[in-house]
Amino acid sequence: MSISKTPYNVIVCGAGHAGVEACLAAARMGATTLLLTGNIDTIAQMSCNPAIGGQAKGQMVREIDALGGEMAINTDVTGIQFRLLNESKGPAVQSPRAQCDKKAYQFRLKHTLELQPNLQVFQATVTGLIYQNGKVVGCRTNLDIDFLGQAVVITTGTFLRGLMHIGQNKNEGGRLGDFSAKTLSSSLLEAGIELQRLKTGTPPRILGRSINFSGLQEQKGDLNPTFFAFHDTRDPGDLFHVEQTGERKSGWMPGSEQVSCWLTHTTPASERIVRDNLHKSAMYSGEIAGVGPRYCPSIEDKFVRFADKPRHLLYLEPEGRNTNEYYINGLSTSLPFDVQLDLVHSIPGLELAQLLRPAYAVEYDFAPPTQMYPSLESRKVENLFLAGQINGTSGYEEAAAQGLVAGVNAALKVRGSSPLIIQRHEGYIGVLIDDLVTKGTTEPYRMFTSRAEHRLLFNHGSAELRHYEHANNYKLLSDSRLRAILNKINRIEYWQGQLEVTKTVGGLWADLIRRDKNRAALPPAFLAESKEVRDEVLYRVTYRGYLDREKRQIEKLKDVEKIRIPSSFDYLAIPGLRRESALKLNQFRPQNLGQAGRISGVNPSDISILMVLIAAGLRELKP
Amino acid sequence: MLSHADTIAALATPTGTSAIAVVRVSGPQTAELVRAIFGTSPPPRQAQHADYRDRAGTLVDDVLFTCFSGPNSFTGEDTVEISCHGNPFIAQKILEDLLARGCSPAAAGEFSKRAFLNGRLDLSQAEAVMDLIHARSERALATANLQLRGSLGRQIESLISQMISVLAEIEASIDFPDEDLPSEDREALQRQIDAVLSGTNRLLATNHYGEFLREGIKVVILGEPNAGKSSLLNRLLGRDRALVSAEPGTTRDYIEERVVIGAHWLRLIDTAGLNATPSSLEKRGIDLAFEQAGDADFFLWVIDATRPLPALPAALAGRVSPANTIAIFNKIDLGPAPREPLPKAFPVVNISALAGAGFEALCAAVTKLAESFHVEAGNELIAINARHAHALELAKSSLLVAREKIAVKEPTELIASELRVALEAFAMISGKIDNEKILDQIFASFCIGK
Repeated sequence: MSISKTPYNVIVCGAGHAGVEACLAAARMGATTLLLTGNIDTIAQMSCNPAIGGQAKGQMVREIDALGGEMAINTDVTGIQFRLLNESKGPAVQSPRAQCDKKAYQFRLKHTLELQPNLQVFQATVTGLIYQNGKVVGCRTNLDIDFLGQAVVITTGTFLRGLMHIGQNKNEGGRLGDFSAKTLSSSLLEAGIELQRLKTGTPPRILGRSINFSGLQEQKGDLNPTFFAFHDTRDPGDLFHVEQTGERKSGWMPGSEQVSCWLTHTTPASERIVRDNLHKSAMYSGEIAGVGPRYCPSIEDKFVRFADKPRHLLYLEPEGRNTNEYYINGLSTSLPFDVQLDLVHSIPGLELAQLLRPAYAVEYDFAPPTQMYPSLESRKVENLFLAGQINGTSGYEEAAAQGLVAGVNAALKVRGSSPLIIQRHEGYIGVLIDDLVTKGTTEPYRMFTSRAEHRLLFNHGSAELRHYEHANNYKLLSDSRLRAILNKINRIEYWQGQLEVTKTVGGLWADLIRRDKNRAALPPAFLAESKEVRDEVLYRVTYRGYLDREKRQIEKLKDVEKIRIPSSFDYLAIPGLRRESALKLNQFRPQNLGQAGRISGVNPSDISILMVLIAAGLRELKP
Repeated sequence: MLSHADTIAALATPTGTSAIAVVRVSGPQTAELVRAIFGTSPPPRQAQHADYRDRAGTLVDDVLFTCFSGPNSFTGEDTVEISCHGNPFIAQKILEDLLARGCSPAAAGEFSKRAFLNGRLDLSQAEAVMDLIHARSERALATANLQLRGSLGRQIESLISQMISVLAEIEASIDFPDEDLPSEDREALQRQIDAVLSGTNRLLATNHYGEFLREGIKVVILGEPNAGKSSLLNRLLGRDRALVSAEPGTTRDYIEERVVIGAHWLRLIDTAGLNATPSSLEKRGIDLAFEQAGDADFFLWVIDATRPLPALPAALAGRVSPANTIAIFNKIDLGPAPREPLPKAFPVVNISALAGAGFEALCAAVTKLAESFHVEAGNELIAINARHAHALELAKSSLLVAREKIAVKEPTELIASELRVALEAFAMISGKIDNEKILDQIFASFCIGK
């Protein structure tokens, strides 16, 4: 049975962090959009820790805001503790991070979806896709209702054949208490999409009033919180709180009444408990086939791989203002429940802790992301877009970034326009997608600042400036905000120029700033500018030499980035190309020479050969 | 359709084959370079005579240079061709100076590629250009690999792994600020950077001129005992260096000598006779001969013309070919014995080492082989050495800046930025280093996992 004869422009399957950004982006671009979710009450659920941002991720969330996404503003409005990480390591690597009220975060996003024009939300589990002539045309659901759509975005998270492990106990599902999308995998396989297994884990949740905080170290939020959204250019009325149903009023003042996290650590007793019970751990007894992330090891892994480390830090993070639930960050495990209980009780402050939910590991299917174009459209099935953990990533921010790009591109595809491709040198989202589609991943992929060659250009405050052109080209932001950003860019460039040419006592303003930013007296008219403008100007002036070097490197690469490779290229038939390169190129099918050069095993001389061949082809076309 | 931002430089003629070597420069900075080096801007297509002085003002050579303005040049860009004396040292000096002045070393086949992209070669030549790029880069790769297998390669690898561990520490402190990592120890960091710096300086000092140029072409003399290898060596040297006697197996070790034949600087290795049933002492000598043959550039196979044709040991049969071996029939004054044909079509020279007959023909054959070898490898070696020095200088300057930044307590991200530049410079020698390697090192060294 089909619910409607007219197909939707875009159908999004899954309402996690990728799904909500995807459906909002598509609907905001004017596409009639349907969001299908197995459970409307878990929209934008933080299945793991109750926090957004952190190194590289924080910058990425600000980029999401710059491209019209919702994650930043949603975090600001529901954040209960804000910290700026890396304050001492330099402005480019400073990253905002926030603890969020988990439920408030979800409810506000659910409400945002409900109020979004062009968007319809419906509760049904997608059981398969409907294909026609190599294209996807809709999805089937467990309610035996089919939905037709011109483009489909799949954001299944850990639900694709999700299997949870607690010791030897196994439950099908993508998250504790939730279901598993079982038949969708076969539907993807049927279309020729390859699937593999990954694994991730989450720690136990405990009851706050059973924690003895007296001996623990408190970690407070910053006195002057750093927000994710660009409030200086945003339209008034963006802030509304879920408690003011239907009315776009601001709720609590973002950043006020912050709550604390608490630090504790494992003990020798914890190590003994883990070691004595290793054989019962799902991961150590061979129950789990999927590959887990190295940056987020289970406590079993920590004790085994770093045996010389006497103790491991644990952070107790509150899950919200209106709940007493705490998340034990750092204690991810797949040990059986009774061992988990002993383990938790071996930790200072948690001697009498009550477990609310056990820790578990979850295995799920992902589709190796080299099967996608940089638009996040599948190479195998036209009009099918994939975003989030199904692409092998981990993290809410990575998911949201992909969801946004997939949603925008699904809408553009339906419209017949060329896709939004964010380049590597433009921001972390560009690095993320380029890494995924050109290199793929073997573990859940997480963003780090060290993955970005040009991270000095990616300071969080510049996200909106860096992505202005994309936002403007695709009208991802309101006209008034685009104008505000353009005005901000002009102010920054004006002052950047002024400071470099205007003399004062002791030399040029810019030289004085570079000598000592903190002590340089600044022109009064400059001090009258907004903090956002001043910060960016000072950043650019202080780092000028470095930023120029980065830009020169980018310019060099841009040339090859612009040279598109005809999709019909048969690499194996190219004379002079080394076979190893030809095989790699045939497999990854890069779209331009820049991408081709980033594929491991492809040499500069191979690129030269391709360049000559492409130039020859172009000359043939216009005699 | 494409304008290249960088100006490239490379040797345009094979080394060692003529009295003149030509260094070609192409790209937008050409005119500026000409002014800086020669102090004039002569009209195009007129050869000028001038002194070439390097950046420090030291005279390198007196040269002829000719400017060509784009698009009327081979590459279609502004170019200059500098003709210097054919001595490889001079060519290398000039090339190094050009790189120090901001040129990039030209990649394999790059002049032809630019010519093609700028419409100076027609469509039918596209495949030829691709073949050229392929052939030249394969050869450059082979030559570079040869070098990298040696001590240079090992030293670069060790510098890179030191760099990766320094970077892993810094990057871990940036990417995992909430982790329980050892606190940043800037003094230790400085010490580690110093270690990399001194390694870089050592390499710069020793690898300044390629081993090839310093040591000459390696030629190994092979043959049965008493075939006359040592007599041949002595005759080529014009003095009695190797102990010669009628007793077979006199040369039990190997002897190494330098000699100039034609325009070529050869490193001759006289080896122990290849006795089919050697004594234990002889066996050691023969093993040494095999070892020397391993990286020889070419071979002189000395055969006793009075005896039946000997078989080559299996260990050598695969190494020698008509392209790298001259078969020398010695003792022809004693009358040639009837013999079987040679197993392969080696170039053949008949001599008498004792009487001194046939040496003109031998020298001509050696020169011919040496030339082909130079054409094959000479250019690449000069280019590779200049490129190595260029990369090492780049690494060094970034390391020095990083060191300075640590001393004045600049933010970690800037130190990391300099170190990444240094790592990339080393990678210009060893090949691309994936960012993933730094992450691998972080996860191997530190317990990350809040």
